[in-house]
Amino acid sequence: MSQAFTKAMARNIFYGGSVFFILLFLALTFDTHNAWPQRDNHEAITEKVSEGKRLWEENNCIGCHTLLGEGAYFAPELGNVFKRYGGKDGIKAFIMSRPKEGVPGRRSMPQFNFSDAELDAIAEFLEYVSGMNTANWPPNIQG
Amino acid sequence: MRGILMDTVVRHEQARPGYPPGDLAIWIFILAELLVFAIFFAAYAFARSGQAELFNHYQATLNRDTALFNTLALLTSSYFVVRGVVAAREGNNALCARWLWAAVAMGGLFLVIKASEYADHFAAGVSLSSNTFYMFYLSLTFFHFMHVILGMVILAAVAVKAGRDGYSPDDHTGVETGASYWHMVDMVWLILFPLVYVMR
Amino acid sequence: MQYQSQAVAKPYFIAAIGLFVGQILFGLILGLQYVIGDFMFPEIPFNVARMVHTNLLIVWLLFGFMGAAYYLVPEEAERELFSPGLAILMFWIFLVAGALTILGYLLVPYSGLAELTQNSVLPTMGREFLEQPTITKLGIVVVALAFLFNIGMTILKGRKTAVSLVLLIGLLGLAVMFLFSFYNPDNLAKDKYYWWWVVHLWVEGVWELILGSILAFVLIKTTGVDREVIEKWLYVIIAMTLITGIIGTGHHYYWIGAPEYWQWWGSIFSALEPIPFFMMTVFAFNMVNRRRRNHPNKAAVLWAMGTAVMAFLGAGVWGFLHTLAPINYYTHGTQITAAHGHMAFYGAYVMIVLTMISYAMPMLRGRTAAPSNRSQVVEMWSFWLMTVSIVFITLFLTGAGILQVYLQRYSGDPLPFMVVQDKIAMFYWMREVAGAVFMVGLIAYVASFFVGSRDPEATAVAGDSAAA
Repeated sequence: MSQAFTKAMARNIFYGGSVFFILLFLALTFDTHNAWPQRDNHEAITEKVSEGKRLWEENNCIGCHTLLGEGAYFAPELGNVFKRYGGKDGIKAFIMSRPKEGVPGRRSMPQFNFSDAELDAIAEFLEYVSGMNTANWPPNIQG
Repeated sequence: MRGILMDTVVRHEQARPGYPPGDLAIWIFILAELLVFAIFFAAYAFARSGQAELFNHYQATLNRDTALFNTLALLTSSYFVVRGVVAAREGNNALCARWLWAAVAMGGLFLVIKASEYADHFAAGVSLSSNTFYMFYLSLTFFHFMHVILGMVILAAVAVKAGRDGYSPDDHTGVETGASYWHMVDMVWLILFPLVYVMR
Repeated sequence: MQYQSQAVAKPYFIAAIGLFVGQILFGLILGLQYVIGDFMFPEIPFNVARMVHTNLLIVWLLFGFMGAAYYLVPEEAERELFSPGLAILMFWIFLVAGALTILGYLLVPYSGLAELTQNSVLPTMGREFLEQPTITKLGIVVVALAFLFNIGMTILKGRKTAVSLVLLIGLLGLAVMFLFSFYNPDNLAKDKYYWWWVVHLWVEGVWELILGSILAFVLIKTTGVDREVIEKWLYVIIAMTLITGIIGTGHHYYWIGAPEYWQWWGSIFSALEPIPFFMMTVFAFNMVNRRRRNHPNKAAVLWAMGTAVMAFLGAGVWGFLHTLAPINYYTHGTQITAAHGHMAFYGAYVMIVLTMISYAMPMLRGRTAAPSNRSQVVEMWSFWLMTVSIVFITLFLTGAGILQVYLQRYSGDPLPFMVVQDKIAMFYWMREVAGAVFMVGLIAYVASFFVGSRDPEATAVAGDSAAA
């Protein structure tokens, strides 16, 4: 009897353990919400940055690039591209410069035909991202 | 108390050579829990070795008296649980339930004291992000705090069943299962207390 | 087949296999684009092909899960499905919505698709794996609700077993966590934090419940081991899954703006995530060793053992490799992640769906409990071709990843991303070759349904004992 390993007991551990860790996770999430204001650079989120994020999403940039290490691994990390390109102008110039038909044999970013205002919004979004506290990631400027 | 513990062990072995007591599933679970705590303690030791001064400094801000009181509360509760198991073994369900409820009450006392400590910390603006020591202190104690709550839920469930005369000298695995879990929670605190509050 | 309504699983399985072929086709295109950068450019740029590749994977796995549920639940509940008609209706809605979405990806520029589907009303598009137009996401919710209603009512009115309850909890969790895909704040830290509530809590949480219950079902049927024993294992495994996996979400929170204690919490709990996978391996082998009968469908048993091993390797071992924060600091967002992703998805989810299809398909086709010997031989060939090539894909990507980490992140003189990509192109070529072999395996898999289907041992009408 003392050797019993009952199904009911295993089930109770499943339910009890799940509830326990869901509650713990929610508690940590609550604390994360309290900690964000010091780290997430939210004061930099303007209308323009929101528009930039929308453009970032609606052109599926994450389908090639990583942003803070998440996304596809086909093209460079962009969380720190603002620093790597030394500001907004470098970013805008690069996006504008992409040839329509690509580069023979090479990977090339498509030409999206953004307006000046759109380019500016994207660059502002990437500037905002570069100001987030990411615990010193990436390890160096190459991303 | 030691006498009774020894007595329990001896009588238990006579009654049933089969070890461990309680449901085997709970022992797998207890081992898993101890593994998590062990890794957490190891991580604490690792982090501490790198920042000993910071750890010593903030360790001094903790209230050791309340922690000692809490240690006593948990030890007492474990004693009550032992008495509860003995009562169940002797077929006295009503007495078993009373001892278990007493243990739950001591667990509740622990929670109240610990919560007041937390309240002081939060009032002082301490959070998980304050520094590495507080991160570990709050994480470890809160993780344990939740285990106390879970242990109380388990003991209460067992006590309710005992109150309904649900165990017998031949079949009280449930009492042993709950008791095993509670002793684990108690034991973790006995490591946690010196490690986080005292040792430097 | 014990219940007529189990038959609704068949179209789900067929659609799953069809979409699987599409997924691998686009995988090959992607692999080629890695080495021939302008392949199919600008008609199908990389981001579009990748979106098709990953979305097809998700959709076909969902088809597989749903088919598995429709097959498994009536047998567990010991009654007919609550509404077979609803199941068929949802099949067509899901298939048409899925096909339209994929066609939208391929035929319209993504920004045009966003405009067409009124993304600005409730912007949810353009985040990894959640690229579907908002209207498609709503469709998924509707299909999921109808599906859950159908399955839930069947279980509620019939016998309740651990297998079907765990499956129901898993499917319920799948639907609930998907709701977070509608939360898309401008604050990137929050956006990413809750994005993982869909992605991580799916694949390292509730999907594992689905995986566990399907595996338990197939093992009960093929080994004849006592249900009590198997269900006990099931509970212990999924308990460990959620105990480690929920806080394990923290291993995604190291570098995305969340507080730094996640590095400790995430490392500690995700380091334990291999445990449930290891238990699953031990469980599967144990049950097969203690089998009380030799099931004639050897291919299905092979898939079941395969998924237990490959899930442990892909999700457990390859996940552990880069889950600790100090290591992840260097490997985050490199080919190491891609390597882990490929083997984990294949081992845990592709293989469990194929296990279920392999087990159920003979009965669904009105035959004996197993396909003909010739068919099984071809199927087992496909098992080994696909499994070995995914191992090689993983090894090559791991090699690429280690070099990438060293050249781009670790060495004293870090090189730019694209320079590094050129230097590791050799690994991408080898990966593409392994991918081609995978495609051969997949073709063999499809062929196994047609080989020897008229052989006498396959065409005998299924008796009750064989179907049990």
